[in-house]
Amino acid sequence: MEPEVVNAELVLPTHLSFKRIQMYEKYPKGQSRGRHWKHLKQILQAENYQNYPPDEPNYVNIETPPSMHPCKKICDITGNEAPYFDPRTNLRYANAEVFKLVRSLPNEYVQRYLALRNAAVVLK
Amino acid sequence: MPFISQIERQSDYNLVPSTTPIVIDNGASYFRIGWAGETEPRVIFRNIVQRPRHKATGETVTIVGDHDPALLKYFDCTRSGPRSAFDSNVVYQFEIMEYILDFAFDRMGANGSEIDHPVLITECVCNPVQSRSKMAELLFETYGVPSVAFGVDVAFSYKYNQRLGVCDKDGLAICPGFTTTHVIPFIDGEPVYNGSCRTNIGGYHITDYLKQLLSLKYPHHMARFTWEKAEDLKMEHCYIAPDYFSEAQLFQKGAKEAEDKTRCWQLPWIPPPAEEAPSEEEIARKAAIKEKQGQRLREMAEAKRSSRINELENELHDLGFLLQQLEQVEENDIPSFLSETGYVSKQEIEAALAKVTQSLRKAKGEPKGDQAEAEDKADLATSEKFPLINIPDDMLTPEQLKEKRRQLFLKTTSEGRQRAKQKRSESELERERKSQQDEEKRLENPELYLEQLRARYKDLSEKVEQRKRLKTNGNHTNGNNFSGGVGRGERLNAAQRERMRLLTTAAFDRGKGEDTFGARDEDWQLYKLMSKDNDHDDEGLDQDEAEVARISSRLQEIDPTFIPKPAELGTSQPVEVPRLRPLTKEDFQIILGVERFRCPEILFRPNWIGVDQSGLDEMAGVSIRRLPSVGQDVEERLTGSILMTGGSCLFPGISERLVAGIRMIRPCGSPIRVVRALDPVLDAWRGAAAYATASQFQTQTFSKADYYEKGEDWLRQYQLRYTL
Repeated sequence: MEPEVVNAELVLPTHLSFKRIQMYEKYPKGQSRGRHWKHLKQILQAENYQNYPPDEPNYVNIETPPSMHPCKKICDITGNEAPYFDPRTNLRYANAEVFKLVRSLPNEYVQRYLALRNAAVVLK
Repeated sequence: MPFISQIERQSDYNLVPSTTPIVIDNGASYFRIGWAGETEPRVIFRNIVQRPRHKATGETVTIVGDHDPALLKYFDCTRSGPRSAFDSNVVYQFEIMEYILDFAFDRMGANGSEIDHPVLITECVCNPVQSRSKMAELLFETYGVPSVAFGVDVAFSYKYNQRLGVCDKDGLAICPGFTTTHVIPFIDGEPVYNGSCRTNIGGYHITDYLKQLLSLKYPHHMARFTWEKAEDLKMEHCYIAPDYFSEAQLFQKGAKEAEDKTRCWQLPWIPPPAEEAPSEEEIARKAAIKEKQGQRLREMAEAKRSSRINELENELHDLGFLLQQLEQVEENDIPSFLSETGYVSKQEIEAALAKVTQSLRKAKGEPKGDQAEAEDKADLATSEKFPLINIPDDMLTPEQLKEKRRQLFLKTTSEGRQRAKQKRSESELERERKSQQDEEKRLENPELYLEQLRARYKDLSEKVEQRKRLKTNGNHTNGNNFSGGVGRGERLNAAQRERMRLLTTAAFDRGKGEDTFGARDEDWQLYKLMSKDNDHDDEGLDQDEAEVARISSRLQEIDPTFIPKPAELGTSQPVEVPRLRPLTKEDFQIILGVERFRCPEILFRPNWIGVDQSGLDEMAGVSIRRLPSVGQDVEERLTGSILMTGGSCLFPGISERLVAGIRMIRPCGSPIRVVRALDPVLDAWRGAAAYATASQFQTQTFSKADYYEKGEDWLRQYQLRYTL
């Protein structure tokens, strides 16, 4: 290791005295372990919240409901108020100038703009 | 003002008594660890782990937190980005969590055989029990921690500020964090989780939104927008607009205030060396070379011309000589004489002579005006030229008959030519007459004439335009449509539509009834109609175009103010192709305009990034509504003490906006007071550190034995009492 790296103590030591079980003991090298953790979705599923009274707060039911107000639309490109919608690209736009830009955008960029508001076409 | 990590190793670990708890604020963005009773955490670092490969030795190493990027050059980070132990705000990867805790305890200076201190660690609101038990297990089994307590960061921050008098014992805590935003009501100094709510939006989303927007706006500088840079830009420049749409309107109109609010980030740019104008010497030299080349070409052309004249003169001379000789030869000997020369008759020689004379004249550069005369002459002599035509067939020999047929053919063609010529001259006369009339009209009333001409020009050019547009409408594509004009949503012209109709009927009409296709000959016409090369241009368009061109040239002659429409030149390109030009300083500027307030606005309108939940201001209303009926006075006390904490409430203008937003959803006249926590980022840790010093803290912790004895269901119910 380079001296400045050592000096900065950048790298976490593999053996730490205050640990009862070291990392290399817990996860021995060279053994494929597969995935040993669950995604949040799986964790929540395993919690079985449906077995508990519905008025008891839990991770799922404290989520905020959708807004009661109508959502004002903004131009995907400029962020101004967008009265118009382009059915070909599905982008919202503010005026003719932006429309010109919208129509000249390559498909990849259109999809990236749509992805910003989670409206892109996702192939599965 | 980016947050700075503190990762120096502490040296006083062994001086601290083992009863002093270690306090950890385990936030999704930053990890803070320190001793209970102190006012500042000892170690702060970003809650991320990287596992790159060391370039020199090839071993995989673990790097926790953010370090000097210059040191990372010794590591190959291409295969492993920074990883976080958090999914949303829940810890789910405990291997990564272990690396982080390793690093944290190591930097705290721990060097005994275990961590012999109680640990108070924060978690999210309503942490799933799986995550909570894994964390407890990790602390007990791996580090040998004697006892553990879990608390919610927002509550610690609220209690801390309550103790300092910033907010009351009844109130709302609004906490826009890194990955989520929480609103928690407090009654009598205790959080009421029944009334809490969470929206999955936070500083992470704002930074990501800014990063994406900028890299879409400046695709050439995409590599510049790293996560860290976007985070810095967000902290430095973003603010919450009092009213988003009026603020955006300012920018749309390009108002003066908007200009003041626009920020510009100049990327490093070195101007290219200016090209010097060529010196006079250079210009002269180039001109001389050009001149020389021109001279040479001219000389070559001259030589060629003279040699050709020479050649033609020789030929002319030969032919003349031949004719003279021919006159001297006897009538009977002519065929034998001619067979030697290669000509068949005297006429042919004469024709060749005429031809040579003409080309000689042309070569010498004389005007060929009398060519027409020559033709006329030739025409006059028609009867002489075609002597056999007027003689009845039965008086001729078979050979002569053949000759007669040839002559007939020649005659008809020459007559046709003549007719065409006459027509041409007539139309020319007509045109001349017309233009003369035009001229007269113009002289009569120049103004009126010009007006009429302009009107006509406008009319016609519009017509032509219209027709062109109709024709090409289907072919304007914007890159989404590679198939060239027949994709969805494309408008076709009439001919193309008809073709599509034919194709579809042909595809679907078969099968019903008996198939009689092909019984009639007309049926086969269908294929001709279907074929692609069917769409021919209509004649009218060409005529109109010619007329437009004529009028525009006429207008150009007499009207100095007239400018022909540029549309005539090229309508095919819908978007101007950017011309290649040298890059300037402006090309390396990142302009932050609407983005400054567009990105943090998603805290109030999560819909804009596709999260279908209500924003900050409405969350306060949701939270109060969720509380079991507490009475109006309590509700008023709640809105009278709203505390903002968490890193994303640092945006300027957020409290004004929150007041305005909450006022809209609360009954008229209710008191609304929004305060910001003293330090929205560190208060959670400070509150926890203060809490852990209390003598009753021991009653809130649980040990390893408790944990295994009481089981998971107890852990689910486990909740800290914040008022001790």
